[in-house]
Amino acid sequence: MIPKALAVSLTGICGSDGVIADRDRLLVYESDALTAYRHRPGAVVLPRTTDEVRRAVQAITRHGLPIVPRGAGTGLSGGAVPLGGAVVIGTARMNRILSIDAANRRAVLQPGVINAELSAAAAPHGLYYAPDPSSQTACTIGGNVAENSGGPHCLKYGVTSRYVTGLTVVLADGSVVRLGGQGREAPGYDLVGLFVGSEGCFGIATEVEVGLLPVPEGVRTLLGIFDRIEDAGRAVSDIVSAGLLPAAMEIIDGPTIRAVEDSVFAAGYPTDAEAALVIEFDGLEAGLDAEAARAAEFCRRAGAREVRSAKDEEERLALWKGRKKAFGAMGRIAPDLLVQDATVPRTTLPAILKGISEIGKRYGLVVANVFHAGDGNLHPNILFDRRDEAELERVERASKEIMQICVDSGGTITGEHGVGLDKKHHMPLIYGQAELDTMWGIRRVFDPGDVLNPGKVLPEETDPAARAGWGDGAVGEDLAAAPAPAPA
Amino acid sequence: MSEAALAAGIAPDRVLLPESVEEVQAVVLEAGEAGTRLLPAGRGTWLGAGGWGVDPGRGDPDGEGQPGGGGEPGSDGRQGGGTDSPRIAGTERLDAVHHYEPADLTLTAGAGIGLDHLARVLEPNGQWLPFDGPACDTGTLGAAVASGVSGPLSSRYGATRDNVLGLEVVTGDGRILRIGGRVVKNVAGYDLVRLFTGSRGSLGVITRVSVRLFPRPESDVTLLFGGDAAGAVAAARRVCTHEVPVAAVEVIEGDEGGVGRAAAVAVRLLGGVDEVDESRARIVAAAGAEPSAALEGGESRAFHGRRIGWEAGAAVVARLAALPDRLAETLECARAVAALAGGATSADALQGVVRVKGSCPGGDLAALAEGLLRGRREMAAAGGTLTLSQAPAEVAARVGWTGGGGEEGGLTSRIKALFDPDSTLAPSCP
Repeated sequence: MIPKALAVSLTGICGSDGVIADRDRLLVYESDALTAYRHRPGAVVLPRTTDEVRRAVQAITRHGLPIVPRGAGTGLSGGAVPLGGAVVIGTARMNRILSIDAANRRAVLQPGVINAELSAAAAPHGLYYAPDPSSQTACTIGGNVAENSGGPHCLKYGVTSRYVTGLTVVLADGSVVRLGGQGREAPGYDLVGLFVGSEGCFGIATEVEVGLLPVPEGVRTLLGIFDRIEDAGRAVSDIVSAGLLPAAMEIIDGPTIRAVEDSVFAAGYPTDAEAALVIEFDGLEAGLDAEAARAAEFCRRAGAREVRSAKDEEERLALWKGRKKAFGAMGRIAPDLLVQDATVPRTTLPAILKGISEIGKRYGLVVANVFHAGDGNLHPNILFDRRDEAELERVERASKEIMQICVDSGGTITGEHGVGLDKKHHMPLIYGQAELDTMWGIRRVFDPGDVLNPGKVLPEETDPAARAGWGDGAVGEDLAAAPAPAPA
Repeated sequence: MSEAALAAGIAPDRVLLPESVEEVQAVVLEAGEAGTRLLPAGRGTWLGAGGWGVDPGRGDPDGEGQPGGGGEPGSDGRQGGGTDSPRIAGTERLDAVHHYEPADLTLTAGAGIGLDHLARVLEPNGQWLPFDGPACDTGTLGAAVASGVSGPLSSRYGATRDNVLGLEVVTGDGRILRIGGRVVKNVAGYDLVRLFTGSRGSLGVITRVSVRLFPRPESDVTLLFGGDAAGAVAAARRVCTHEVPVAAVEVIEGDEGGVGRAAAVAVRLLGGVDEVDESRARIVAAAGAEPSAALEGGESRAFHGRRIGWEAGAAVVARLAALPDRLAETLECARAVAALAGGATSADALQGVVRVKGSCPGGDLAALAEGLLRGRREMAAAGGTLTLSQAPAEVAARVGWTGGGGEEGGLTSRIKALFDPDSTLAPSCP
């Protein structure tokens, strides 16, 4: 709970309907979509304007409390978990699209605008917003900026940072700065690029300028069915090597297919298959059929038993259904799910997939893979039950081994979910002390007092005095201590 | 390299050509101990440009918030340090290809590799790095990243910063950092790669670069439409907002358009053969006229290759940018500058960027400086920018390379201090 005086100031700033302080209502702000990590916030404030954010930040810091910015809470790295009784600044009420400038293909919006709503608003102009995280009907642009979110179509179009051209940011000291804006030609350091993906540690974005793209004229979607997942991985590499550039290439493995088909989300994928590969091309109508035919041929040559193609939008959505609903379906077959997010060089996919499967077998765990194959961005999901302590320990060890083989192949620990709370202990797998110290340095350029989202992204520094107050628990501590999440 | 430095008006104390990251580290540390400015360079193309070579004086807190900002030349004379000449750390010997897996569409190479050399490495695999910013024809990979400038292809392929995956750098205080990685999607930690891209040698010496590559499109066609100046701008804008996606739209005034008219609109189409043929038919239908010329394959590539090196050797080079729908106004402003500089303009209609080059043939430099300042004011009033990357010393001193920083609340100087606390390297930007 926060001091009464602070509650009064925050109510003065955001109104009584803009401050949440009672325990029951704070429950939903305890975690993000990675529900293994839970901590109750001191309070939640829901400002409507940049000025309200600025004043709220000043009020909270005057009381010496940390601040955690939050969008829709759909993150998968524990990034929005409020540690140390932090006050959450939620952007739910900052949900206005301020302008759509069709002539320059750009829009200016508040951070709480939902990703899919921006594309819907741009549609009458023949435009859309390209980054499409799987949670796009719920996640906010502000959250996307914080996490540098990706999505299936980032294979062709790139991730969030390519589309963010300007930001208004409230810093930890309550100052308001404008970064970039009106395109991306501003001289000086690329502070917009530095801010995107800073996971709520550098400031709170209160206005976002983004670039939009023209809606592609045509789309072709294929679904390749494989008896061996390595063959699907090889088809992906062959398609890319041939110079084709699909908009998306997604793999759903056997365990995931069976989970989906056993659920209400059944998409009609054959349950005896070991991989389904969704491939999508978009652009001008002319040439799309030829590209799709070439990709289908690569699938067959790699050993696909069947290649389906969508004839209309309804069929296209059906082919995508198994991919889009994979997470929801897995939530139904195991009480708990550990989601990983490593990226590996595309050519190592077949070997890595084999390695993951062996690690799963060795620890007696079900590992279900659903991932952005074109980017080499893996999402191995380990299914488990936290009440089984022995299993929990095996999950931890398997998870670490999977991360290690991905890093050893030249990959990285997170492709799009962010580091947050979940992966900060894995940062030393890819960065040395010099790099980590530099990241601490850059964080303090923006936030010298460690006010914003403390305890996230970076492992604690070696000097304990500098990090007093924030626990440095092993990865498993939170997993074991947290209550089981409600069934999805 | 010494020649390039002298041409940029810098008389270097010495030119160092380290062969390894450890040697770069030693060079940086030695310069720091000697209290001598050290300017990172590739082949020297950008020395003197935009504040790299000419500095505001050692110990200056980089002029944050002052008009003119940190890149202002001339406040203590034209040589670095005010007391001695700068050293130059050239990276041209760091030119090895360390990792290239064609099927991954990624490459890691030494920062000193020439982009021309790199193109030859990629060609046999039908791949390319679509960097088409100024000097990206003969300059080095490291300099392209450090300058951060992009060209007309950036709306199709992303800007330079969107295609740099990882870097190895030696910071101004001699730390070796390996940031980012060599995979195409990576959000592990803060994005220091973007911070270094476009940092103009002010934070560290870039020694190694990992980039994302692209398959070379099957078909490459450039349609050239001739016309008068006003008609060309209107036509270019129509193509920019047309339903058919194009790779680049440029407005070239004068003889360089090669169509015998006052101006030419060059529309570049890249993609599969069917896609490009269809795009071509629809663009021509929308234009209501056959193009004056159509360049295909190698001819199209060569045409755009010449655009990349367009400014090479010019005495004055400026870049004006505003939102694309203000192209007519931006071009108008650029023409006024070009007239004073005795030069020409080249407009990238998709990005709203107009480049100006001039030879300053015995011109009135005071009038040129005033014209540039007037142009900058006009651009700023419309939310745009005018930056200089080459200019005679007295013009640069009067006008400043960038016109100074924005309202970043001291972030720029704190970032500079984190990487280069003793201001050993190039001055902070802007």
